[in-house]
Amino acid sequence: MSHERGIPWTLKYRPKTLIEVIDQEEAKSKVIEWLNKWPNVSKKALLLYGPPGCGKTSLVEAIANEYGYELIEMNASDFRRKTDIERIALRASTSHSLFGFNKKMILLDEIDGISAREDEGALEAIQELIEKSNAPIIMTANNPWNQNLRILRDLAEFVQLKKLTKTDMRSMLMRICKAEKIICNEDAINYIIERSEGDLRAAINDLQSVGEGFSEVTLERTKLLLRPRDKEKDPFETLRSIFSANYSWQAKAVINQSQLDYEQLKMWLEENIPLQYTNLEDLERAFEALSKADLYIGRIAKTGDWDLLSYAIDLMTAGIALSAKNSSKDKYRWIKYSFPQRILLASKLKEIRSIRDDIAQILAYHLHVSTSVAKNEIIPLLKTIFTTDPLKAAKIALGLGFTEKMIEYLAGTNKNTILEHYRELKKRVVSHHRSKPSKSIESNNEMYKESVGLNKNSKKEERNLFAFSKKK
Amino acid sequence: MSEKFIELLWAEKYRPRSLKDIVNQEEIVKRLLKFVEEKNMPHLLFAGPPGTGKTTAALALAYDLYGNEWRRYVLELNASDERGITVIRNKVKEFARSKLPGDTPFKIVILDEADNMTADAQQALRRIMEMYVETTRFILIANYPSKIIDPIQSRCASFRFTPLKKEDVIGRLHWICRQENIKCLDDGLEVIYEISGGDMRKAINILQSTAALGEVSVGNVYKVIGLAHPREIREILNLALLGKFIEARDKLRDLMVVYGLSGVDVVKQMHREIFSADIKIPEEIRVILAEYIGEIHFRIIEGADDEIQLTALLARIALLGRKVS
Repeated sequence: MSHERGIPWTLKYRPKTLIEVIDQEEAKSKVIEWLNKWPNVSKKALLLYGPPGCGKTSLVEAIANEYGYELIEMNASDFRRKTDIERIALRASTSHSLFGFNKKMILLDEIDGISAREDEGALEAIQELIEKSNAPIIMTANNPWNQNLRILRDLAEFVQLKKLTKTDMRSMLMRICKAEKIICNEDAINYIIERSEGDLRAAINDLQSVGEGFSEVTLERTKLLLRPRDKEKDPFETLRSIFSANYSWQAKAVINQSQLDYEQLKMWLEENIPLQYTNLEDLERAFEALSKADLYIGRIAKTGDWDLLSYAIDLMTAGIALSAKNSSKDKYRWIKYSFPQRILLASKLKEIRSIRDDIAQILAYHLHVSTSVAKNEIIPLLKTIFTTDPLKAAKIALGLGFTEKMIEYLAGTNKNTILEHYRELKKRVVSHHRSKPSKSIESNNEMYKESVGLNKNSKKEERNLFAFSKKK
Repeated sequence: MSEKFIELLWAEKYRPRSLKDIVNQEEIVKRLLKFVEEKNMPHLLFAGPPGTGKTTAALALAYDLYGNEWRRYVLELNASDERGITVIRNKVKEFARSKLPGDTPFKIVILDEADNMTADAQQALRRIMEMYVETTRFILIANYPSKIIDPIQSRCASFRFTPLKKEDVIGRLHWICRQENIKCLDDGLEVIYEISGGDMRKAINILQSTAALGEVSVGNVYKVIGLAHPREIREILNLALLGKFIEARDKLRDLMVVYGLSGVDVVKQMHREIFSADIKIPEEIRVILAEYIGEIHFRIIEGADDEIQLTALLARIALLGRKVS
């Protein structure tokens, strides 16, 4: 090994072959199996996830090297716009390689670094790339719970890489010391490993900064140079630390070390409190704390005063940790926490609510009632017609100018029958209408749409339909 | 013509268009017809129980004044939908500003559910009513006139709508059935009257839903009512009271996704349910539950998150359920 300065050891000692990749046997075999089958695989992309420095990128590079792929590598910080992604796609699809490889593989590194807001379009571009690509695509991410990755769940196979063990890390650091001809103090190595919490890249960087240019690594110098490092806790560790905390300061400290922000934490807690606390009194106390925390968050939105956030956090962390009074051993039970269902349901719920609101507005206009009366009194009765008499339901839907989504909401399991009637009736009404236009009815409904502000853009298309919603 | 392709809601289809078509509230109608004749009117306050013809009278008055194009001269607002007096002020201002054609002396603002406004909002409304009085007359509609502040009452000609007589409601339902060629049984109509509590709009809506099942019989009426009031909320409450917290929560989630209910909708329905005989709990517990529910309702309108608040409520109910069992 050469002794030249300036090359990061993380690069210098990067694995060239699969055997050199430390541990991760399960992930290795999964990736190879997937690659061998490609493109006859159920999902055309792979997402490797795991804590920083556990070997995700190294694994991909080693495989590419060993199996003779040209690796087309993009880092999250490189690709920002759709055009960048299109450029890679083009490079990957050209059949001849400059370097004599005949196979290509695309690596999109640190994909959870993409911001939905700043890198607008990037995720859509990745989706498109996955669908079109004629080279295998491997992505890496630290945090599989990242909101951005949700849309990739259906498109990519998720493969987990584990945090490296201390033994594995020790043997790697020893190897480097030997290659660099450094005498290595075991306590110093242990200190570095302890500090890195399974992040081999961090450990190698640390070793380089205390060891390079010296002939010996001592604990004294290591401690002097390397101060303990803060690490972010994933959602599971976050919950575990909150529930098991015995003092308020312990619980309160968690929020600063967590990958979850307070909004996400709120939902994770909501989902998992009942799994951790089985005693009803403890459960009620915990939910009361969460409910009050949530109330403060609502007040922040109302007043714009962020000083209130600290009360919300006190309640969400310490408040919940100290709720287990009756059955305090529950605090330490090992629980398989679950992902908040409501995050998955949120968009669906939002859509359904807006459909219901739109129906209520139409009913309120026609029947001259408040939308609240429309929702609570009229919609339930309308639903009974939709579940009992499909033809009548279709006629009413046409009469009131409901969209197909609105019909689906009201119809439940009956929706297909009603929609068939509805489309048939609509066709006949339109042809009928062509022969006999009726002016005053039309202007009446135009006024309705102006007053409610519905369907501004689709006014023209739906004109014929609305023209019949009112009898002269 | 397009009759065979479309159907209207009967509450709309059979709403009297003109004052002359209104059969009840004779005294009021007589007075309103005078306003039409004179083409002038003061601000009006219509008060009375739901479904007694207040909104119908207001709309018919507008129709008789302006004819088919009445919607051009009428601004309909619902105090429970228009959040805040500033929204109302802006809408009224914009409406009052637009020009009137030739001989029309004024425009009308119909403000429904006016008794839902706070006293402060009503004070502000009073000023708006004065500011635009030259071009705009208000018809305020309320269930409870006592909730309308005195300064407004004294500026309005007040009309009290009396509850409809049983035979009037049933007579109307009969008439609609004849128009629609629906077979109806007398006791079926009677049950509709009982359930609707004399509210004509409610009665007509129930009639139309029942007709979708076939004849209007007692059995079919109850069937419709059963379908329209799903038991899920009751089941959720009962699960929680039995201490089956997670089941109750999951069911609540399903319910919210299927029906698209908001937190406040759920809270209100729960509030209705806790006093029903199907929830078997000691009487004093109903009051304690009401207070819990009220507190959660308050937190939601304070800006808290629907689902967290409802889940916290279920946790409380579960605890309460265990204490009483």
